[in-house]
Amino acid sequence: MKLWPPLAVLCSLLAVDLVWAAHSFENTAIVRTVELGGSLVHVTTTYAIKSLEAGSSRYTIALGRDEHQKTSWLEVRLKGQQAALPFERHGTHLDNEVYLYDVTLPKALATNGTANIVVETVQTHATYPWPQEAAQSEDQALKYESDLFVLSPYETSVQRTKLRSSTPSILSFTQPEEVSFATENPATKSGTTVTYGPYYNIPASASSDFIAAHQQHVTVQYNHGFPVLEVTKLKRAAEVSHWGANLNIQDEIILHNAGPRLKGHFSRLQHQTQSYYNRPAPHVLSWATLLLPAGISNVYYYDLIGNVSTSRLRTAPSPPKGLSQAALNNHFSTLEIRPRYPLMGGWNYSFTLGWDAPLGDSAVWDAKTGKYILGVPVMTLIPGAVVDEAEVKIVLPEGASDIEFFAPFPALSNTLSTHISYLDTTGRPAVTFEYKDLTDKHTGTIYITYKVPFLAHLKKPIAVGMAFFALFSLAMGWRRVDTRIHTKQKL
Amino acid sequence: MTAAYSLPQDISPSFITNTASLLRIVALALISAAAIASRLFAVINFESIIHEFDPWFNYRATRVLASNGFYEFWNWFDPTAWYPLGRVVGGTIYPGLMATSGIIYNALHALNLPVDIRNVCVLLAPGFSALTAFSTYLLTKEMKSPSAGLLAAAFIGIVPGYISRSVAGSYDNEAIAIFILMFTFYAWIKALKLGSGFWGAVAALFYGYMVAAWGGYAFITNMIPLHAFVLILMGRYSSRLYVAYSSWYAIGTLASMQVPFVGFQPVRTSEHMAALGIFGLLQLLSFASLIRSHVSSSHFQTILFVSVLALTAVGVGGMGVLTWKGWIAPWTGRFYSLWDTGYAKKYIPIIASVSEHQPTAWPSFFMDLHFLIFLFPAGVILLFRGTPTTTVLPSGQITTETKIRDEHVFVIVYAVMASYFAGVMVRLMLTLTPVVCVCAAVGVSELLDVYLDPSEPEVGGEGKDGEESDAASTGSGGVTATSGAPSATATATGVASPSLGKKSAKKEKAAAAAAAANSSTGIVALDSLVSTLHPPTRTKPGIWGLDTRLTILLNTTALLLFFVLHCTYVTSSAYSSPSVVLASQNPDGSQHIIDDFREAYYWLRMNTGEGDVVMSWWDYGYQIAGMADRPTLVDNNTWNNTHIATVGKAMSSPEEIAYPILRKHDVSYVLIIFGGLIGYSGDDINKFLWMVRIAQGVWPDEIQEPNYFTPQGEYKVDAGASKAMRESLMYKMSYYRFHELFGGGQVMDRVRGQQLPSVGPTLDVLGTFPSFSPPLTLLTFGCVDEAFTSENWIVRIYEVKKEDLLGRDLKSASGFAEGKKRKRSKPVSRRRAVVA
Repeated sequence: MKLWPPLAVLCSLLAVDLVWAAHSFENTAIVRTVELGGSLVHVTTTYAIKSLEAGSSRYTIALGRDEHQKTSWLEVRLKGQQAALPFERHGTHLDNEVYLYDVTLPKALATNGTANIVVETVQTHATYPWPQEAAQSEDQALKYESDLFVLSPYETSVQRTKLRSSTPSILSFTQPEEVSFATENPATKSGTTVTYGPYYNIPASASSDFIAAHQQHVTVQYNHGFPVLEVTKLKRAAEVSHWGANLNIQDEIILHNAGPRLKGHFSRLQHQTQSYYNRPAPHVLSWATLLLPAGISNVYYYDLIGNVSTSRLRTAPSPPKGLSQAALNNHFSTLEIRPRYPLMGGWNYSFTLGWDAPLGDSAVWDAKTGKYILGVPVMTLIPGAVVDEAEVKIVLPEGASDIEFFAPFPALSNTLSTHISYLDTTGRPAVTFEYKDLTDKHTGTIYITYKVPFLAHLKKPIAVGMAFFALFSLAMGWRRVDTRIHTKQKL
Repeated sequence: MTAAYSLPQDISPSFITNTASLLRIVALALISAAAIASRLFAVINFESIIHEFDPWFNYRATRVLASNGFYEFWNWFDPTAWYPLGRVVGGTIYPGLMATSGIIYNALHALNLPVDIRNVCVLLAPGFSALTAFSTYLLTKEMKSPSAGLLAAAFIGIVPGYISRSVAGSYDNEAIAIFILMFTFYAWIKALKLGSGFWGAVAALFYGYMVAAWGGYAFITNMIPLHAFVLILMGRYSSRLYVAYSSWYAIGTLASMQVPFVGFQPVRTSEHMAALGIFGLLQLLSFASLIRSHVSSSHFQTILFVSVLALTAVGVGGMGVLTWKGWIAPWTGRFYSLWDTGYAKKYIPIIASVSEHQPTAWPSFFMDLHFLIFLFPAGVILLFRGTPTTTVLPSGQITTETKIRDEHVFVIVYAVMASYFAGVMVRLMLTLTPVVCVCAAVGVSELLDVYLDPSEPEVGGEGKDGEESDAASTGSGGVTATSGAPSATATATGVASPSLGKKSAKKEKAAAAAAAANSSTGIVALDSLVSTLHPPTRTKPGIWGLDTRLTILLNTTALLLFFVLHCTYVTSSAYSSPSVVLASQNPDGSQHIIDDFREAYYWLRMNTGEGDVVMSWWDYGYQIAGMADRPTLVDNNTWNNTHIATVGKAMSSPEEIAYPILRKHDVSYVLIIFGGLIGYSGDDINKFLWMVRIAQGVWPDEIQEPNYFTPQGEYKVDAGASKAMRESLMYKMSYYRFHELFGGGQVMDRVRGQQLPSVGPTLDVLGTFPSFSPPLTLLTFGCVDEAFTSENWIVRIYEVKKEDLLGRDLKSASGFAEGKKRKRSKPVSRRRAVVA
């Protein structure tokens, strides 16, 4: 988890004082599954744990330094359960080599009690193209690097790491040598999967001694069938209008194809041939499908030099009220978005996408508190893309007060500012959230509650009315005052 | 006294005046709305986008103005244009347009209306067209009557000749210039009529605005002196003329000199000398008339007249000497091409290469003006006859006489000059259009006046039948007339006006004036008008019966309706294409947008280095700067002919000659337009001969136009193409790998309808074409590489190779890379010699 530096320093200072409780659990098995992808790599690690003491309820998981740096999303659950377990940063241990998180189990385990803990993480910027250049007709090969052993402060009986690719072509993988704890072939490949392990009876590994003595680096090179996309910058602006019963959302997106750079030059001919035979190159983004909310209208898609006409939209009507969340998830509009030109490896493209949504779909009025509650999604997912930097700005109606917000995950910073737009007199309050490294898991909703007094609603009509009144008064006065210096003589 | 139909009698004059004024306001508002709406086809069919070429520069400059402020803009040096020379933008443009949109933009933002600068620019022209309609109304009102003014406003609002330069997105100087032109003329007429220094100053300030806005200001600079001169020749010199002209000239010239691009031209170039000369002449004349008023001797007058002539001769002669000495700049080439249409083609091919500088084709008069072009002469003749002037004599009597007035002379002179210029150059159709609208409006309004007037001719007897005499008797109010013509209809016509609509607004005024003065001596303008045409007899002219009236009125209405249809059709089909975006139809009838230009420009913008120089023919310079944001060698501001010729030479030379030129100018990318795949006829191969001609103008030894034709004198790109043609960089870049699209079938260039040899140019093996059975496959490049081709192949971008790191020449380097054997028969040294 990339935290910003002050906190990291603070944590590492605290860590020195923390008491090491390594003896309360034992891992009977650790299985890590890595879904090799493009810019996002999903890693699922299952810890089968056994309690050695009664009343142990805090289990500590460990991430190596590289691993920690790549990890942008972390979620802990008990196997087979939906609810996420709370966890907190334990602090850094041993010269920033290992990062520890304390997971609080729902109930304390008795001695020899067992549980299965599933840790899901999403890693960003974990892969890189290799070879770094690919011609238009070539495949796209990526490399993923990882540590051989899953670290844990507890002793582990058996441990495996599986690296699974979406295509069957795993080009190469590191065959680790002199692996401690291995009884047979330390690495095997079958079909789309490379398996490291099983390794037996590993001692507590979350220490620099262990890392220095046993840890190894493994690399897998594989073909990836989809373009590696990075959104270098996402700026979302959501603007609420109570008069228009409208929520306008506008995304400014800078897209970068982080796959292998295009070798030589782009040949339209070859591209047209490939699409004619329906064999698009895996590293070219010709179009992407975005799922926009249902009920939207006035969708616009333009870039710095105007409208982009090559896109297709299928809108769905607004869902009826009171639908369950699961049912709501199936209600969306589909936008097939095409950049002006096919996005080859290493190319950039920037665009703006926006739409109007009925306010009723995302805001309610709470009669008890007299406040509006508004939900704005953090981002619209571009499939397979990581968002490096995101800024979400929510502009509330003019005169909104008592603003409170609830983000689904903590932002790097929140700022409150004033935004001045059409027909404003005092400006509208705006809340800005900044994020880094958003993944497909970060699709939560920011909730904001605010009050709008009745008079604030009337601000605009009054302002416009006053302006026109002044105009007409001036015109009336002008008509009635003789501005000539001397009166016209009759000829 | 009989009338064809009866009119209500019991309406108070003040009610009529108020209603008429309200109707005029409503009519003007509707005309403005129609003028704006009819210019929005482009926005609705496409999008809010800047059109064509020059507007892209204006838009870019306006963005600089809006974001950096006025002073930054004033001092703006643009290093990315005319690489490596750069361009002092602030001093080489007419800033009026940008300043106008900058002011609008800032005003809107001050009111918390955060409108995008692009939308301000796109909608500026439609907005100003509404103002143009209003100032045309004012001008025509001065000519004839408010109803004629409304007609003229309606005409100019929708006439294609003006719409062609002012659709939404056509963000060019003409967008605001026509409004300023019309308003300056109006203020001038007003100043002349009233002898008012105030209106003269207004005219001067608008003239200053015009100078800041459009190079065509020279038209005003010469029109007003010409008008003054014609008035003097007609013996119409008056103190009003003196006051109006002197205030206009003095303030206007000072105002115009504030524009850096104009600077001291108003006192140093020939175009401005007429204005100065007339100014001097007027001083002499006024001096003469002063003396004349003191010494009333006809003998003395003659002497004065002679001395005035002598002084004029001295003035003109002095000017000639000054010109000859070079103190006054001689006429520019663009000016000469106004008198000799063949001039530009001979001496300045760059001017001739612009399509809008060509002479106008006859059909375009009808297309741009429709039935107005037929009414135009009629209107001019009516102006010769003049319009009735009502004068209130000191005795309280009102007399009306129909005679030509100073402002009529103005429109007549304007009509003659503009007609000539419109015939010479297509783009000057724009200056003809307003005067056509004014004259045609005068004509139509006259026609309607005559045929709407209910009075019937009186041949000393009764009306035709009883019913009509009844109507007439109820209509006649027992009013007598001074000129002998019965004027009962005066009141009647006026009273009827509100129900007749805006077209008879003029009569209301006449009626109101009549009523106000003396109801028993009221006179209808028309009556006296007609009576002056025909010597006053007992017979009052008029129209018999309703059938004749209806025939003519319905016919006129139909003409007006057809005019509206025509304008709408022409505007939507011919003048509303942004030319950056092309539209075609899908098989199912839906619109298919061909957006290759922006695709390629955006690719350049996003995926090349910020300082990478792009070479293209000058047409695309402004667009590349505006949309791709990259430095260009040449652009639409064609100030440096040699630089353009250099680009022309690089395009029309073989690679060996082109490559050093490209490298010397730091060119990273070469952009060309190729329409052969989808049949886009405005492509570079079709413009190629202009590149050759312009290059030939500078390097006549190296580039020769005849070399690009077949021996039979045909312009061919197929197997019969000449050697120079197929070896030129342009040809090779256009057709590189084109044949592969056809998969071995017949390779067809859809623009030129020629079939190319199925195996086509390679960009390396120059000189291996033995004679042309020269296949396209052999087309390879040594010095450039295809970098990007847009979806429909309209834009092709090539990257210029850097020098080989091992010091080989590029051809052998790329040959080595492709694994080719070096050809012994072609020693490198010989080719080197060619380069040098």
